[in-house]
Amino acid sequence: MNMEKMKIIITVNDRQHTLFVSPDRTLLEILREELNLIGTKKGCDDSNCGVCTVLMDGMAVKSCTILIPQANGHSITTIEGLERENSLHPLQQSFIDYFAVQCGFCTPAMILTAKAILDENPNASEEDIREGLHGNICRCTGYKKIVEAIEAVRDGEYKESCGGV
Amino acid sequence: MRFEKYFEPTTVEDCCQILKEHGSDAKILAGGTDIVPRLKNKSWNPIAIIGIGKIPHIDDIVVSKEGLELGAGAQLRKISMDKSLEKDYKVIMEAAGHVSSMQIRNIATIGGNACNASPSADAIQGLMVMDATAVIASSQGTREVPIEDFFTGPGKNVLNEGEILLRFKVPAPKPGTGAVYKKFAIRGDTDISIVGVACRLTLQEDGTIEEARISLAAVAPKPIRVMAAEKALVDKKLTAELIEEIGEIAADICTPISDQRGTAEYRKEMIRVWTRHALKEAKERANAS
Repeated sequence: MNMEKMKIIITVNDRQHTLFVSPDRTLLEILREELNLIGTKKGCDDSNCGVCTVLMDGMAVKSCTILIPQANGHSITTIEGLERENSLHPLQQSFIDYFAVQCGFCTPAMILTAKAILDENPNASEEDIREGLHGNICRCTGYKKIVEAIEAVRDGEYKESCGGV
Repeated sequence: MRFEKYFEPTTVEDCCQILKEHGSDAKILAGGTDIVPRLKNKSWNPIAIIGIGKIPHIDDIVVSKEGLELGAGAQLRKISMDKSLEKDYKVIMEAAGHVSSMQIRNIATIGGNACNASPSADAIQGLMVMDATAVIASSQGTREVPIEDFFTGPGKNVLNEGEILLRFKVPAPKPGTGAVYKKFAIRGDTDISIVGVACRLTLQEDGTIEEARISLAAVAPKPIRVMAAEKALVDKKLTAELIEEIGEIAADICTPISDQRGTAEYRKEMIRVWTRHALKEAKERANAS
């Protein structure tokens, strides 16, 4: 039996979308399959690994375990929404400069989680950053470079070149 | 296909009506962090899903002179960061803050943690020692159940078909109260607890214990209170010997299983250790209150 489709209005990266989709699909599926925003990755698909992290109303959430009706009326930020007109987002640039990227699969989610951490607490300590990243798994870097990249942005190293967080 | 119908009631009455019509074929969706993986792996196959996010006041956190009213749909992170809870309900903030990662706490709810009824549930441990009452609604009206009677077994709770958990009521603590939740897990909060111990002590001015609560996580088929230990604490002062004795009672009473996180023997030993830590810290907080 085909389920009745539901009208969903979501704002993704400042652009409003009106969609008619089946309510049993996840936010992750809609982002990747309907809106072609494939920067958000699908990993374990049961909210353990964290690679599907996006920001919903500024808060980091795992999009693989959110049904699309739960996101109805909310504002979503994905990795595609961070780049500025003339530069990358400071976290994107620092992840490159600090070698915080190896295979890159966890990176979009790491950067969005990092943004959520710094948005909430611009003076986050190393411990705060590591605690905040607890839901994001990276199997390449050992986290040291990732934490350093976030600390560099926290310390204002990219303010001039890329602007604020 | 994971389910056939999706409902989003905007009143408790409508929600109860839908629950009544669909009986055991319906499941409630709050944060979704427990139910969505189960829908995906088909361990649950409900026909109808009822999203409760649009029910007014379902996520309210209200502190008054009488106590705290905690909406079932309140997100764990909202609870763990709500400054109005800091003074009297720190243990509830703390327990909610020990569940999994930031991303999960941003969306998972206190009511979901209770209804999921995992023996290792962290968030409800604060409610266990603060004498919370669950307010449950159905099309017949509402009823109240003390939190320690809410759980009936692993994954099982007292909710009957057609009922929904609306909120928790927590009475305001007396002066001289200190409470703490200690979670023991290898990989921090993201990990499932090996054991957890919540403790509340209410002290008289001379330090005599007037009231005590001890609750354990992950060492029985459901979250359990250690009444024998609570009784043994009342009208006494918390000495090193008494702390030792209470640790023994808690370890004796719990009935853990062996699994990949620890053996039953190890868990019993850890209950002894963490009960001692929890008692000491609850006393420190009571003294500081």
